[in-house]
Amino acid sequence: MSSTLFAKELRANAFVTAIIAAVLAMYIGVIVSMFDPDLGASLDMMMESMPELFAAFGMANAATTLTDFLINYLYGFLLTMFPFVLILIIVNKLMVRYIDRGTMAYLLATPNSRTRIAVTLAGVLVAVLVLLVAVTTALEVGFSEALFPGDLDTEALLRMNAGLLALWLFLAGMCFFSACLFSNAGLALWAGGGLGILFFLMQMVGQAGDKFEWLKDVNPLMLYDATGLAASEDGAIGGAVALAAVGLVLFAAAVAVFDRRNLSV
Amino acid sequence: MNSPDHAPVIELRGFTKDYGNGRGAFDVSFAIEPGEVFGYLGPNGAGKTVTMRNLMGFIRPDSGTARIGGLDCFRDRARIQANLGYLPGEIACMDEMTGTAFLEFMARMKKLRDRTRMNELVDYFELDPARRIRKMSKGTKQKVGLVCAFMGRPDIILLDEPTSGLDPLMQSRFIELVLEEKRRGATIILSSHLFDEVERTCDRVAFIRAGRLAAVEHMDDVRRSRKRVFVVTFADAGERDRYLAAHTEAHAVGAAAAETLVTGAMDAFVKDLAAYRVADLTAREQTLEELFMHLYGASEEAQPHASASKGGSHE
Repeated sequence: MSSTLFAKELRANAFVTAIIAAVLAMYIGVIVSMFDPDLGASLDMMMESMPELFAAFGMANAATTLTDFLINYLYGFLLTMFPFVLILIIVNKLMVRYIDRGTMAYLLATPNSRTRIAVTLAGVLVAVLVLLVAVTTALEVGFSEALFPGDLDTEALLRMNAGLLALWLFLAGMCFFSACLFSNAGLALWAGGGLGILFFLMQMVGQAGDKFEWLKDVNPLMLYDATGLAASEDGAIGGAVALAAVGLVLFAAAVAVFDRRNLSV
Repeated sequence: MNSPDHAPVIELRGFTKDYGNGRGAFDVSFAIEPGEVFGYLGPNGAGKTVTMRNLMGFIRPDSGTARIGGLDCFRDRARIQANLGYLPGEIACMDEMTGTAFLEFMARMKKLRDRTRMNELVDYFELDPARRIRKMSKGTKQKVGLVCAFMGRPDIILLDEPTSGLDPLMQSRFIELVLEEKRRGATIILSSHLFDEVERTCDRVAFIRAGRLAAVEHMDDVRRSRKRVFVVTFADAGERDRYLAAHTEAHAVGAAAAETLVTGAMDAFVKDLAAYRVADLTAREQTLEELFMHLYGASEEAQPHASASKGGSHE
């Protein structure tokens, strides 16, 4: 890790991270405030009127507790899609564009090995995601305790969010690997990005209709099971561990590829 | 060309990197001695940057070896960088930073403790680094890159088209700087498509063309064999034709002018010309291409690749 590069890139990506965090804060605030322990029925009614649409966004379960409510409305889509967008933006900024525009030449014209540089850049991405999950957790706990003191199962939330971080790491590893692997800038960004989008679409289609249930079985995103994590189910914990492990393997592979490849910078 | 008592600082042996369609570098070999300034001259797209990238360890050669200070350029690139200054051919600094922030960042990445040299160079090039790099002109960005390359007082300096974008004043400052670094003992390789900056700085010059090294020459030899091209405008076409009939080496240009190369014997040329009615006389240095043709024209049949590339990529 190069602390100079790490600090510089963290600062350079602070603004876009803050934007995404603000968007998440808004959604978390709105959704927590929409929870009504007594009148959850109104939302359920809406859900019943358009079941497919709600299901597509992973909001199919009738939520009775605040934790279930959050799982239903935040964890199926909002807390995965927005961080994914952030991952794409950061990977593009700190790897794809550096190679494409030749800025990488300056970084490599220093006595820092490629491994060190790639590990640092990956480290920035991971640090941003850890920061974002911490902010998300704090916001969820904060809003919940402020509006419905004692209703939130904080321990379950921590397990859910640890799993969420594992899911983000998987997506980030995939995008970072793609950025290190391909010389063509478009491919470098969109091989990983496109695969991510495909997984999200598969998730939406798979959740919406019985005919496409099988899509769930081939979709790595389905390894993340917030409800299962909240209930401490072994399968759900195993899935989250698998996501984190695959993510780390992808990061390691990305660094190895970056170390060996030709860079026309 | 290697003297036996000291090993070359930079050594390429049979370096080949094929990008297809004749692009790349093919079987390039040369060795640069300690303290030498080495010019790497060729038209755009001839393979200069590929060679630089190879020396920097950015690309792995298809075949051949590249060594700097005895270390393998690809495998040991991080160690080599500890004592190397590099100016990339394409200016792509970090746009969103100011020049000052970028230079400070690079100094830290290079683990430099002392900023004296950096500040000296900023003043020397009259660089105003306070502005964002994005807003800087091409020449100003080039200055930022030059400060970066020289600020660590490296022993080995690789410069890819160092004067592009610089105005004439700054070009001559750059040349002064190279000579100063040479006196300090630095080994420098600089690529260019301009003969002048190479001529004023380099001890030896390599000519590269269509990815192949045409020759490595001592600058003095090149200077000596470089000829003047004279364009003589005669009083009328008849007079010109009379001259052409007597001088088969000259060829017609325009309505009543002829172009001819003068080899050494200037006195004879002028006295011979006195027998004709001359309206105008202009002289110019041989262009790089012409010099090439002159130096290697005779051996072209023996080197099919050189003649095949005659119409190749040059601007």
